[in-house]
Amino acid sequence: MPFLIRTIIWCSLILIMNSCYSIRFQVENGQWEPADTEKEDAYAGYNVYELDTIVTRKLTTGEHYFNISNCPSGALHTVEYRSTFGGILLNAITFGRKKKVSIKYVCIKENSL
Amino acid sequence: MATTKIDERKRWDTLHKNGPFPLKLFLTTKLEKGSSRFSKREKYNDAAQEIQKLIKEAADNHERFRAIGSKWSMSNIAHCKDRMHFNSFMNLKFSIFEGELHEDSNYNHNNLFWFQCGNQIKEISRHLEQRGKSLKTSGASNGQTIAGCISTGVHGSTIDVGSVQDYVVGLNLITGPNPEDNIYIERKSKPALNDTYLKSYKTRIIRDDDIFNAALVGLGSMGFIHGVVIETEDLYLLHRYVKKIDKQEALQLADTLDFNNYDPKIPQADFKGLRPFHYKIFMNPYNTDEKEYAVEFIYKIKYYENYKADFGNPIPFQKEFVYLDLIYLFIKIAEKLPKAIPKLINLLKTSILPKEEKTTVGKLSEIFWDAGYQGKAFACSFGVDHTNSSKALEVLAKLTREHPVPGIFAMRFIKQSEATMAFSKFPFTCMIEIDGIQWNDQENIISLKNYCTKMIEALKNNNIPFTIHWGKNADWSFPDLVNHMFGDNVKKWKKVRNSLLSMPMQDVFSSPFLDTTKLSDPLPINEDLIV
Repeated sequence: MPFLIRTIIWCSLILIMNSCYSIRFQVENGQWEPADTEKEDAYAGYNVYELDTIVTRKLTTGEHYFNISNCPSGALHTVEYRSTFGGILLNAITFGRKKKVSIKYVCIKENSL
Repeated sequence: MATTKIDERKRWDTLHKNGPFPLKLFLTTKLEKGSSRFSKREKYNDAAQEIQKLIKEAADNHERFRAIGSKWSMSNIAHCKDRMHFNSFMNLKFSIFEGELHEDSNYNHNNLFWFQCGNQIKEISRHLEQRGKSLKTSGASNGQTIAGCISTGVHGSTIDVGSVQDYVVGLNLITGPNPEDNIYIERKSKPALNDTYLKSYKTRIIRDDDIFNAALVGLGSMGFIHGVVIETEDLYLLHRYVKKIDKQEALQLADTLDFNNYDPKIPQADFKGLRPFHYKIFMNPYNTDEKEYAVEFIYKIKYYENYKADFGNPIPFQKEFVYLDLIYLFIKIAEKLPKAIPKLINLLKTSILPKEEKTTVGKLSEIFWDAGYQGKAFACSFGVDHTNSSKALEVLAKLTREHPVPGIFAMRFIKQSEATMAFSKFPFTCMIEIDGIQWNDQENIISLKNYCTKMIEALKNNNIPFTIHWGKNADWSFPDLVNHMFGDNVKKWKKVRNSLLSMPMQDVFSSPFLDTTKLSDPLPINEDLIV
């Protein structure tokens, strides 16, 4: 019985830690950077970059932000931000020092602006 | 310098997964970087040289070379097994200035633009809107490249405009590796650009109506389309409303396109007696009890700056609407029904198409916005003379009830094209299309190929002249199909192909689609002289 309870607790914890939602921001009138892929989702035909990392804030870091340097057009078409319970928990227990970042983004196509 | 990345591949597929098809090499060309010292014109000419180099490499290896854009076609028209060239990053844009017009040109230079092949409809619209201009029409969505659109005849339902190729006034084709193979073609009867200007593109100039019309819908086989000169018009707005109207009334309008005495009764608008810019009928072939069809009326109105204050931003509405492109509508209906295809079809018999009845007003690019569905799909599309619209619809719907497949019908209407191989060949062509989701052979449903064969047979048996959309699913191997559809125009098209491409280049620019349809067969020499 204790084993069963432990298993249930662990499963619930894993489930909660992985429970997530995502929000996608997309410009209405920009041309996405294309790609020839075999995707079947909303990103079919889009060149999608994914970033999944944990950022550690150092004492010297002020308002932190990411540099996205692989958009030749210098502009973003789509950003999808995914939030997980695990990520929120990590942020809380490290007092904001560590942040789990999980984003997908698509650049604006070069020469289309 | 333009650079080409060459990837070895085993297979390639269309956006809607109508393959996969075998492939050896996938080539992606990118232009000289934006920060370089090259002018735009120099970048364009540099890209032409790169393409000629790639064509030579294909020819030297006795391999075929095929340009692709956004791979929206569902037939295998974009495929070749050797070298496929992804040209979407070749997207330079040029305005045309007064001094660049031909002396006999009647075009307004402000309306002319030269677009490199890989420009997609969405970015073209944005570029034009920034200059107060608009495309005259587009397909139901905006992801196709301009070269892809004209090669396959992409159309909307703009009754009095036509298809995308119908506002093209000049074509820059690369038909081989030699300097004289970089050609610019325009109609002799409607010249657009002068020789001095065209020489800056290092092109050989051809002014000939027959050659231009044949090259216009070239099926990817008249050489590499490097650039397209199009005629645009001043920005306008589209007033869109979808409502259900009596079946017979909808079909009578389709058969006559006579809107003189018709009042669509759209709230807060008076379009009585006006022929709409766009007229489209949606129809569920399985529910014969439904007394009404859903009809999309779009009227053209004068552009004014603050239309969003009056009607709201059309794009969020578009995201909620279901009557966008046909496949999207079907997906929205199907998602509420069981996933098992036979059950889904059974439930379609009692399904009623939803109501929408909300006005939207926006620019062409806003009304025909991003595609809502990019998954697996099939689509078959037949062109008939609009006077045969209701008859052909009944024939195809009856066939579909006898051999059910998971899809629904729509009818769109387009003005006749001057292109030799345009499927919009009738004075007004009604495109009857069935779109839906793919099924597999284990589901005890007729195969797509057999269904497509039966559609052709049904139209032939009922003596309804027809064409088929080049980019849609069909039984392209049906005996003598293309000759049946286009008659002597096939010979005219081949004659022009013979004149533009050497025999080795005809093979380089051939494809399985061309082989299946026998369009890659050269014209016999004696017939070449007669045509």
